[in-house]
Amino acid sequence: MSITRRGFLQGTGGALIASLAISEGTSAQGLHQNLPARSVAPTNQKWVMVIDLAKCDGCGDCTKACNSMHFVPPMQEWIRVYEVLDNPQAGPYYVARPCMHCDNPPCVRGCPVGATFKRTDGLVMMDQDRCIGCRNCIAQCPYGARAFNWGEPPHTPEELAHKYSMEEGWPHRKGVVEKCDFCPEMLRAGKLTACAEKCGMGAVYVGDEYEDAVTNSKGETIQLSKVTKQGAGYRLLEELGTEPRVYYLPPVNRKYAAPGDMKS
Amino acid sequence: MMSDRENNMLRVLTHTTWRFYMWLGIFSAVALWGLYGYITQLRYGLIVTGMRDEISWGLYISNFVFFTGISYGGTLISAILRVTDADWRHPITRLSEAITVFALCVGGPMVIIDLGRPDRMLNLFIHGRIQSPILWDVIAVSTYLAGCALYLYLPMIPDLALLANREELAPWRRKLYRFLIFGWTGTPGEQHLLEKCISRMAVLMIILAVSVHTVVSWIFAMTLRPGWNSSIFGPYFVMAAVYSGTAAVVLSMYILLRVLHLEDYLKPAHFRNLGMLLLTFSLLYLYFTINEYLTSVYKVEGPERLLLHQLFFGDYAVLMWVTQAVFIAIPLVMIAVVLAVKRLQRFIPSVVALASVLIVLGAGAKRYLIVIPTLTAPYLPNPSTIIPNNPVLPFDWVHYRPTWVEWSITFGGTAAFLIMYMLFTKVFPMISIWETREDKVLVEPAVESTPRNVPQRLGSIPTMTILLIGCLLFGATIARADQKKNPGKTPEATTLSLEWKQVATPPPTDDGGAQAQPSEGESSGANKIYGQLFGWMPVESGDHAQLYPSMEVTATLLDSKGQPLAYQVAGLSLKTSFGKLDFGSRPTNGEGKAKFLIQDKRYGQYQVDSNYDGGDKFAAAHAQAMVDFGVRPAPSLPAQGVLITPYATAWIGIPFLMFFGLIWSVFLYIGIYLLFWRLPQLRKAHNSLSQ
Repeated sequence: MSITRRGFLQGTGGALIASLAISEGTSAQGLHQNLPARSVAPTNQKWVMVIDLAKCDGCGDCTKACNSMHFVPPMQEWIRVYEVLDNPQAGPYYVARPCMHCDNPPCVRGCPVGATFKRTDGLVMMDQDRCIGCRNCIAQCPYGARAFNWGEPPHTPEELAHKYSMEEGWPHRKGVVEKCDFCPEMLRAGKLTACAEKCGMGAVYVGDEYEDAVTNSKGETIQLSKVTKQGAGYRLLEELGTEPRVYYLPPVNRKYAAPGDMKS
Repeated sequence: MMSDRENNMLRVLTHTTWRFYMWLGIFSAVALWGLYGYITQLRYGLIVTGMRDEISWGLYISNFVFFTGISYGGTLISAILRVTDADWRHPITRLSEAITVFALCVGGPMVIIDLGRPDRMLNLFIHGRIQSPILWDVIAVSTYLAGCALYLYLPMIPDLALLANREELAPWRRKLYRFLIFGWTGTPGEQHLLEKCISRMAVLMIILAVSVHTVVSWIFAMTLRPGWNSSIFGPYFVMAAVYSGTAAVVLSMYILLRVLHLEDYLKPAHFRNLGMLLLTFSLLYLYFTINEYLTSVYKVEGPERLLLHQLFFGDYAVLMWVTQAVFIAIPLVMIAVVLAVKRLQRFIPSVVALASVLIVLGAGAKRYLIVIPTLTAPYLPNPSTIIPNNPVLPFDWVHYRPTWVEWSITFGGTAAFLIMYMLFTKVFPMISIWETREDKVLVEPAVESTPRNVPQRLGSIPTMTILLIGCLLFGATIARADQKKNPGKTPEATTLSLEWKQVATPPPTDDGGAQAQPSEGESSGANKIYGQLFGWMPVESGDHAQLYPSMEVTATLLDSKGQPLAYQVAGLSLKTSFGKLDFGSRPTNGEGKAKFLIQDKRYGQYQVDSNYDGGDKFAAAHAQAMVDFGVRPAPSLPAQGVLITPYATAWIGIPFLMFFGLIWSVFLYIGIYLLFWRLPQLRKAHNSLSQ
């Protein structure tokens, strides 16, 4: 048997085209028909959050509630409060920043192993069993919503007694990326997230986009489409095209002392 | 037969001085120290590094970029010069190709060292997502390494064949060489075929090298970070790689020249030519640098302001300016002067070599400046004020400084590179014998010179609360007093009933109504492809694109005799998962009906409650009904294109498969078909002819 150059090139070319065809076939099928099981949420709801900056007084209770509920390792905050000063003339205001659960999430784009992925209920999930710790998602996230377990996080017996699941990401592990998970197991049970529940000012509203309503800790339910439209709701860093699922209502007619007034 | 200069060059294979062992010992000690550093890191995690959440990439990533950059040298010298037929390249091809291979051997693992979970590294292959720039890097760098190794090996075959027959060499060497040449005999047919392989590989290596350094830059350029979010990054990285890689070649040439006494091969002309190239590259790099910074300095766009301040005047200013001097300005002047001034001609090798030292060091510092300062200037800067319950990040969490572990691994990696290079010189000839044999006269005769060795707050809440309670109490008392005025009169019972129906949605009043159909119908083919690919389609307001069903919910209020009650107020609310959405209240009309028109973005069935508060005359009433707002959409992921889907489609797979598939096909063609099939055939044909 002799192999000619033409024969060899035809062979490799054929193999290339065949593998193309196979990958096209399988991927097209996968994309259009069946999402992988983990991408499909248990219920058909789409979670959304509204944070009314006019009510946020920067008390940090949301961070505290979140940290204790999720056993968040020290030096991390899954919901962080920023004091923002847009320009020297404008007064400073507080912005609470959870994970935005973007609809066009840069972290999901950049993850090399699919450890962080989008789910049908709108959440960006984090699989601590798969994460390789490359921290590309941290580099990708423009909101700084992600944190990394640089060393072995300190554990409590209560935390260790829990069984890890993707939705309840503790016990925490070394060398993986952590972030706000929107407490999906609580939302499905009709309970507010830890941050919304413990917000004394009722600034944090959560809800199901399909219900077109969000509710805060004071039991006030507002219509999502109405507040975002008439209340001039905006999303953080909209210009980056990340399509966040967290809406902010502008800090107008504030119901608390502004950060600057407090200081003076 | 070997000439004198060849024998001199090959002496290094058989003669080992104490200096070699000394340096090998030193480098091994450093490499082992680096290994200890890595073991420490494996044990305690990345907490032993200076990296933290704010600055999450550090020295390792900058080393990765640095070493892959250095690796460019070999490709440039041997491939580009080969394609352009520059004959003076012959003596320096092998030493530069060796740099390529060993720099990649150190650079590649730097990414693995940077991983938080190196034990899960195989996930890259098991669960790899082609949409991620990290995976592009893995594919590109491994392809590059395979190609470089092949490209180092191919031109070495004739030399190894020569050495395999040398009696004075140790038997294990000859055995090794004989194994590596696969029966090469050096017939004209074989030589022709080998030349062909090498020239094909040369073209391929140029394409591959450009793609690899571009892909390395894409790790940064594909992020939404001020300073990295730059379109010049691809060529900028390629340029820096060529520049530092060439400097590494010069450096290695100079060291080999001094240590192995290769004056017969490495002529001042080489240093002059490479000096010329370095001068060109430094000017090009200067141009790229000015272009990169000036475009952002001129505009001082919001988020970039902090970064630019940090770089030019802030924390990184000293390093920045020193780097610009060491990496670009000083070498530029040095080389320009030494090349231009005739009287300084004899200093060319040492000055170019010294400039190369600066360039290589500057390249390392420049990579550090590309990676770290950007991370200190995020869109949402670390809060400077103290927020209760938010930890105050300590100084070293927001300021990066590499720890001893990172330095150890960096120096250990460099030492490992040097060890590999040293050992390579002991096993393989560093100068291509057969390529230098044709003795094409070098561009310039040697100048007989002996270059010098140059070596909580409450605010007014309590007051407000008291006032509020006071008001309530006051109101309640008045109301009570009011009620007492007409006692004994029981309000008449009322009934409230609810009915709902879907009504025709009124057409939107604005111009948006013209394109009210959902987008699929009207988007053109090209638009659709863009949308599928990257979710590029401009976002349309959902209200324009889709009409939501209008629900008319009517509450009918009747008194105990079944007569409608007019001018009474009925309220409506809807029960959601978390609470009640209040739609306010409406007065009843003459038929006792209060109509609520609901046109919301809502799906599913909801319990709707209507309340009539009653009054003095009429008792309160309550009614509830289930309203169906239509089926919820099927569960799906947001339509944002293939980059976030769990699967890669052919749209993104094809370019990668085509590019790297083509490259691997050529590798296979050369490595398997030509080398293992054609070559023995040619040999057989030659042998049968000569018999």
